[in-house]
Amino acid sequence: MEVAAVAQPSGFRTLERQAKAVNPGQKHEYPHVQGLTEPHIQSFNSIWERAGPRTPALIDVAMSLVDKQTMFDHKGDGDKHLGNKIVFWMDTLRLEHPSLSARETKSTNRLMYPSECRQRGISYRGRLTGMLHYQVNDNPVVSEERVLGQLPVMVRSNRCTLQNMGPAELIRHHEEAEEMGGYFVINGNERVIRLLVATRRNHVLGLQRPSYGNRGPGFTPYAAQIRCVRRDQTSQTMTMHYLTTGRLVLRFALRKQEYLVPVSLLMRALVGASDREIFEAIVGGDAENIFVRDRVELLLRAAKEYAVFTQDQALAYLGDKFRVVMYAPEDATNIEIGRILLRRMVMVHLDTDRDKFNMMAHMVRKLYAVVSGECQEDNPDTQQLQEVYMPGHLYLAIIKEKVEDYLLGVRAEINKDVRAEKVDLYNTRYLARVFSRVVSDIGIRLQYFMATGNLVSKSGLDMQQVSGYTVVAEKLNYLRFISHFRCIHRGAFFTELKTTGVRKLLPEGWGFMCPVHTPDGSPCGLLNHLAHKCRLTTIVEETAAVDAALVRLGVHPGLPTPAQRDPHLLTVQLDGRIVGYCSQSVAARIADALRMLKLDGTRSKKQSAIPFSMEIGFVPRSHGGQLPGLYLFTTPARFIRPVTHLATRLVDHVGSFEQVYMDIACLDADVRPGVTTHQEVLPTHILSAVANFTPFCDFNQSPRNMYQCQMGKQTMGTPMHTYAYRTDNKLYRLQTGQTPICRPRIYDDYGVDGYPNGANAVVAVISYTGYDMEDAMILNKSAHERGFGYGTIYKTEYIDLGKHRKPGDPVTLHFGLGPDSIGDESIMDNIDIDGLPLPGARVEEGSPLYAAIDDVRGRTKVHKYKGEPGYVDGVRLLAGGIDDELQAIAVTFRIPRSPIIGDKFSSRHGQKGVCSQKFPATDMPFTETGMQPDVIINPHAFPSRMTIGMFVESIAAKAGALHGVCQDATPFQFDETNTAADYFGEQLRAAGYNYHGNEPMYSGVTGQEMRADIYIGVVYYQRLRHMVSDKYQVRTTGAVNPLTLQPVKGRKRGGGIRLGEMERDALIAHGAAYFLQDRLMNCSDYSLAYVCRTCGSILAPIAVPATSHVVDLDRSASSGLSTMSALSPAETSAVMAAAGSSVHVGRGPLDLSCRLCRSADDITMVALPFVFRYLATELMSMNMKVKLDVK
Amino acid sequence: MDANGSYHAAPYSTNPQPSAQSTMLYACLDCGHHNSIKPREPIRCFECGYRILLKVRTKRMTQFEAR
Repeated sequence: MEVAAVAQPSGFRTLERQAKAVNPGQKHEYPHVQGLTEPHIQSFNSIWERAGPRTPALIDVAMSLVDKQTMFDHKGDGDKHLGNKIVFWMDTLRLEHPSLSARETKSTNRLMYPSECRQRGISYRGRLTGMLHYQVNDNPVVSEERVLGQLPVMVRSNRCTLQNMGPAELIRHHEEAEEMGGYFVINGNERVIRLLVATRRNHVLGLQRPSYGNRGPGFTPYAAQIRCVRRDQTSQTMTMHYLTTGRLVLRFALRKQEYLVPVSLLMRALVGASDREIFEAIVGGDAENIFVRDRVELLLRAAKEYAVFTQDQALAYLGDKFRVVMYAPEDATNIEIGRILLRRMVMVHLDTDRDKFNMMAHMVRKLYAVVSGECQEDNPDTQQLQEVYMPGHLYLAIIKEKVEDYLLGVRAEINKDVRAEKVDLYNTRYLARVFSRVVSDIGIRLQYFMATGNLVSKSGLDMQQVSGYTVVAEKLNYLRFISHFRCIHRGAFFTELKTTGVRKLLPEGWGFMCPVHTPDGSPCGLLNHLAHKCRLTTIVEETAAVDAALVRLGVHPGLPTPAQRDPHLLTVQLDGRIVGYCSQSVAARIADALRMLKLDGTRSKKQSAIPFSMEIGFVPRSHGGQLPGLYLFTTPARFIRPVTHLATRLVDHVGSFEQVYMDIACLDADVRPGVTTHQEVLPTHILSAVANFTPFCDFNQSPRNMYQCQMGKQTMGTPMHTYAYRTDNKLYRLQTGQTPICRPRIYDDYGVDGYPNGANAVVAVISYTGYDMEDAMILNKSAHERGFGYGTIYKTEYIDLGKHRKPGDPVTLHFGLGPDSIGDESIMDNIDIDGLPLPGARVEEGSPLYAAIDDVRGRTKVHKYKGEPGYVDGVRLLAGGIDDELQAIAVTFRIPRSPIIGDKFSSRHGQKGVCSQKFPATDMPFTETGMQPDVIINPHAFPSRMTIGMFVESIAAKAGALHGVCQDATPFQFDETNTAADYFGEQLRAAGYNYHGNEPMYSGVTGQEMRADIYIGVVYYQRLRHMVSDKYQVRTTGAVNPLTLQPVKGRKRGGGIRLGEMERDALIAHGAAYFLQDRLMNCSDYSLAYVCRTCGSILAPIAVPATSHVVDLDRSASSGLSTMSALSPAETSAVMAAAGSSVHVGRGPLDLSCRLCRSADDITMVALPFVFRYLATELMSMNMKVKLDVK
Repeated sequence: MDANGSYHAAPYSTNPQPSAQSTMLYACLDCGHHNSIKPREPIRCFECGYRILLKVRTKRMTQFEAR
């Protein structure tokens, strides 16, 4: 077979792809797909393995930052009254690849793979071990390895058994050929840690919030905030508040408890600065600034009241106040504790106290600048001042905290023993006991975190929310699945916020956040998606070379002094550390030079000394804008994206901070010589992967593209190729998927051809028969019979006989057919002799599904199938313990879902519709070439929605189909002079068709030609997962609420649909009284009630006691006291009392009597809603009477 | 007895023991080896020790009304 030379850059590549499918290679076909989960995987990898020669694994960094615990047994006296000392700590945490337990002896391969975990409904975990060390007094350090449980492992990370596998090997292990990982397998579900927006680290934000003013007396709305991040990527936020007295206090949280510390005290404690030193550090070169000078004076004067003049005094003051909450060693002096506080809580991203002092001075200066209006307060909602909580970093933070919790737990145990005087530090058995008394299973905590998304933490981890950290990565279709890894949430706190400022689409997010791909409705603007080329940095870079380069390029180290009398000196900061200062012109020069230096690295193909991902944020001086300075960032978790550097034609990475101050052209026409330095690689780079799949999206009205992003993710498509190895609760499958004729080039990058989401349909835009009104669409019955939109649902049910068995109890339930049911044909048709369903058997509601023998009862119990009709697709026998017999199975059902009336379809332009009729082919209109449409839609779908892209797709795909080529639908390819309509129109003309895409059509019913030419072409149609079969609800009678006797709600329970107040209003307006009566009364809680016309009560009439008694009473009343009476006199009086002693008892027409009127005369029957009786009873309980006026 | 199950036929006194002939063939999901497993035996592939076995499709004729 000869392959014609393809003129298009993008082709179907059918043969190539088929060859690869038959013979998968060792290298990934679609590296871009692997790039989608990069932030997840790399951040997880960085926990366990060093990222560069000088950046150790984060777990080791984290463990080095966990404090060693020091305790005393208080058994001493005199000088050493504290007695013996024990110091214990933990380090060298190691995570092993997931593998089988040692007891699993029969297996040839000891490793576990994710596929097995998914199918068995277990978690994909590896063993976590750590070294516990302790030292008693000055004895040698004792070390022992402790198992810290089974820790969930991210798929395709460096702790995953699939790590370096290529397509061929992945397929061998029952994975997708292009499996990209990035998720965890928890109890058989695939769960992702969400990306969350965080404040940019190590950068001072000037804030003005009314809520700050309400914190207490003296507080103003002004504050400066900095989120400091330690080397292990845990953070500590500090807020500096400006008080009306001119004082400044620093607020930080320690174990969710807030502390306020005077800034002057901290500055003194850090470096022992004198008043003059503090003054000079804050004022800097701006000696003439009266505002700042006055404030600093106030600050220093206010500090006098603490009577703290030296560094030691300041440290001792702090240490005294924080001694208890710091869990400091008992023998530590106040000064030492003060130092620990500064190290652990204040400016934690910096190592030296001098750097901390300088940064604190900068923070004060920025706060004053915001207060005086010299610079603007920052907007924390812009991407410029944001970064990301990376999944791996969050994971590590939890592990670290749990290790700390373990050590603190041991500490509490020892403390308890010290008080009970049971402690014996020289007894190794005692120590072993005390270390094992505290639960050290960290794996189970992380498992809980992953399974629920809830963060259980004593410190709060400097996070703003406690839940919603993880989500299930639903494999509904390919688009849905990949978008889980690209979605980024603003934080749960903002979902309840009344103000909508945070949801705004801001220009700072250009190229980082997709402007199209966000849901409408409540999460709009809070749940965003990363642009498909946006990357997140993950590596802790080496920055010594940057420091050296800065000094070489003319940065003066230290802070400017008032003596210099130059207010225009700019601060130069590297990752939140003040490197020095320089003038604006020098700063501009440095920024340019640094950019060239970092680009040099890519040009010479060798590692540049300047990190390539470094952000060079040069903020020039402005009138009341952002605080000027040169801000450099090399830290992980930042947004970066590729753009072309025009001077060198190299790809440069820009970050969201620097982008604001850079001149980046979009198209060639936007380039301004001498000004523009960079240009977009492609204009489509601003869109997310999913938004990029919308063809000709630049022709559509913007909200329609948003709808398509949502509907693309709800499509019943091809989520995977590994159906045989999946046991998801519910899986959708489109049987007859096609790749679109008309698609953007990016389809090739992401391999979407392998995961079709719909089918190319011949669509006529015509108002035909009226069945296409209001977004309904008519389906050609023959198209349906050819398989258009045919889908299947796979449902898996886990059956675990041991679910209710306690561990240790004997097994009493076994799968199998006992002799009592063997031979029963109605059972044996579906169930095999082993008690399991026969694969291939057809099941419907009530069919026998599986059988279990119950040892206790000695019988076979046959369980039945519930749900819609389908077929048993497969039965998996899942292993339990080593020697355990079969207790758990997973049965997969295949439920065919051919399209029926009421199913939802959509084109790729936010044009959804419901199938209203399957028209026979004979009645469909046809063109002169004899073509019939597969789908008919109404022309009214277009004017208000303005989805011109759909028209373009229609003619483009039509031309593509006629010429047998794949059409490129990448947006931003056409313009006013070179229109899409002309480009594809000419193609149509060349194929002998109308240039505009219209064709004369003939009515299928009469055969007459229609008055107008019909727009007919080929559009790719998606079948959405919303199907009537899952939604229809019908009831005449059925379950009712026991209290009100009204129908229950809910489809599952066979309930009704509420006819609400507004529906009621409409019916009243129509005068449909009979119908209303039927809905609200007869078909709801119709009941008959007795009402006493005299008193108007429906509760008073009660039945007269048993008729036989009444007869007796009557007789006794008429014939005097009869010895024949069946009742004794006492009984008679009791009955009379019960009946209200009415003389008319039993005389009424209904054998009833009113308890209030003591009469049976006026009792009559009325129809009432049953709840009315309930209402009357409730009111009666509150001493209120309901009186009915019965005529 | 709950809604989704029912007991069949008459009860009997001794524990029901599935007959020895009820040894079944199950395919290993990893290596494809057909394992004959007796009732109450642990679920492991004899060849590779894999822990998921698949019930093989019935050889019986299955025909459904195709309408």
